[in-house]
Amino acid sequence: MTDFKKIEENLKKEAKRLLESGEVTVVLAYGKGFDEKHPMPFAAKSVADVDNIVFNEYCNYNMARYLVRYPQGTKIAIAVKAADSRAVIQLIQEEKIKKENLVLLGIPVIGMKNPKTDEVIDSKTTCGMHNPVLYDVLLGEEVHGQKIVSPYDVLAEYEAMDKDARWQFWKDQFDKCIRCYACRKACPMCYCDPCFIDQNKPKWADKAPQSPGNIMYHLTRFHHLAGRCIDCGECSRACPVDIPLYLFHKKVAKECEEMFNQVSGMSIEDKPVLVNFRVEDSDKILE
Amino acid sequence: MLKKTAIEKISQLAAVLMEKGTLLAPVKEVAGHNFAEINDPQKVDLNFYNTIISPKGAFFPPKEDFIKYKIGKTITEAEQIKVDSKPVFLFGVRPCDVKSFSIMDIHFNAAGIIDPYWSQRRKATTIFGYAYDLNQPVDAADFYNSLGIYAADPEGSDIFMVKKDKDLLLKGITPKGEELLAQLNTLVDAGKDDEKYYEETLKKGKEYKTRFLCIDQDVIAKKLEAVFNNNDFWTKVSSACLSCGACTFVCPNCYCFDICDDTIFGKGTRRRVWDACMFTDFTLEASGHNPRTQVYQRLRQKINHKYSYHVKKYGVISCVGCGRCTRSCPVNIDIYSIVEEALKL
Repeated sequence: MTDFKKIEENLKKEAKRLLESGEVTVVLAYGKGFDEKHPMPFAAKSVADVDNIVFNEYCNYNMARYLVRYPQGTKIAIAVKAADSRAVIQLIQEEKIKKENLVLLGIPVIGMKNPKTDEVIDSKTTCGMHNPVLYDVLLGEEVHGQKIVSPYDVLAEYEAMDKDARWQFWKDQFDKCIRCYACRKACPMCYCDPCFIDQNKPKWADKAPQSPGNIMYHLTRFHHLAGRCIDCGECSRACPVDIPLYLFHKKVAKECEEMFNQVSGMSIEDKPVLVNFRVEDSDKILE
Repeated sequence: MLKKTAIEKISQLAAVLMEKGTLLAPVKEVAGHNFAEINDPQKVDLNFYNTIISPKGAFFPPKEDFIKYKIGKTITEAEQIKVDSKPVFLFGVRPCDVKSFSIMDIHFNAAGIIDPYWSQRRKATTIFGYAYDLNQPVDAADFYNSLGIYAADPEGSDIFMVKKDKDLLLKGITPKGEELLAQLNTLVDAGKDDEKYYEETLKKGKEYKTRFLCIDQDVIAKKLEAVFNNNDFWTKVSSACLSCGACTFVCPNCYCFDICDDTIFGKGTRRRVWDACMFTDFTLEASGHNPRTQVYQRLRQKINHKYSYHVKKYGVISCVGCGRCTRSCPVNIDIYSIVEEALKL
């Protein structure tokens, strides 16, 4: 099992070193919340802030979400778990950030939990990897020898539904939506300003939290993330009414992988799959 | 008048209430409980701590249609949508949420500014308050004690309910509640020991402790005013904030709305929908100028509105400490901790 205390120590040590030396101006990590079960995303900006850093099984947050908030060129150190590192890679591919401005503090981890339900979320709502894909410093022992679980296994029940049943499933789910937009705000890849749903001219969908507008918002967001979603599961975890958004994202990711033979956020050399044109690309998308 | 019923027979009571009008009660959903209009009396479920979303929607729904019209037609052809004035029974509201209604009345039902939609619904509704179960542990996010509210306060309810083992005790508080209680024939008269239990529960409610912070409303209002320009403080407490609307949408006291025209194929509806001061476009002006572009400005506005401006303008804090915003926040921002830290400055 992951030694959370050890990672916390290493995280503090590295954060202190980087801030002291002036190598970075901010360390994006996890801080104390109102109790142990509720840590918070935290931006340490001085050595004194480092004491507030924590790491435990509830630190699910994808800190890559906060990268685009800082002006281009800011030197940032960021704590990354597997999916978070993929988000960083994807953001680099999309030219939102530059690798040279980042120090990636890699956290290999197994056994992250949902604080609401206490269930282990590895590979259920997340990408199922345990080791960060890209890092500069590793803060714990790499996880090896685990049974490899496909992140798409949780789709079995969903895929068993036919077209009508799926449509009904999503209609019922979207009826619950209160349009708080926590999903898009928690998503590291949702950085459009303004988001299409906030636009008035043209107005793409109803403002009211009801069927047509909700469907428009979610389906557009789903498709906007095709080939870009790195499967961190933050949207589903952020949702106050528990809409299983990850199911759609995983389904699209799976189809993208089958069609284009590329997984999002795995290499900074890649181009985003729907931006890139390759002669050998599948034509299935046009069918 | 004190009446009682077995909790397992609650669906019978629900059925009677459904005959008399619309019943809004907690139902179990995937993520937890929420208030919903009851179509099937079996669905009423009192086995809950508190609902995810506050019951404010009973009076101030997430979406309220005002007018339906056709583009190109005259205004006389537009249809004004009336509020249904059928009696409503709002069943199983926790004391902190009951308190929130009286704070919301300031905005929707005070002299001079009467919102017909809110006030008609308020008039048509009988509130069944429901004491927290004192045998269950208190949720770590709650802090209603800090705002002078206790787990078994009947104030503001028309009928107040207390759970006694397998029974539910119902006490008429207002004349409206007494009258209704007398009509509900599925209930039986409560005995002497039930009366004693009810009174004891009300007393014991004071010892059911949530997080507590000594909040003097004038002190906190002045304090927040004084630290308004302390950007370091506001940047620090908002550094995690995603600027989504989850906290305001679940809050029983957030009342901001947006009036919008939704049109499709030449048919339009003018309606109001919940809005949130945490959204980037909340303060976006027609000129393109936005006075609150930064996350810290928006979070500061939310805290100050509740704990400072509201006190100065209306003499009461616009928060009841139900803990919903903390529980629903995707990044665990805790309004209680922010107030606590502000007081230390």
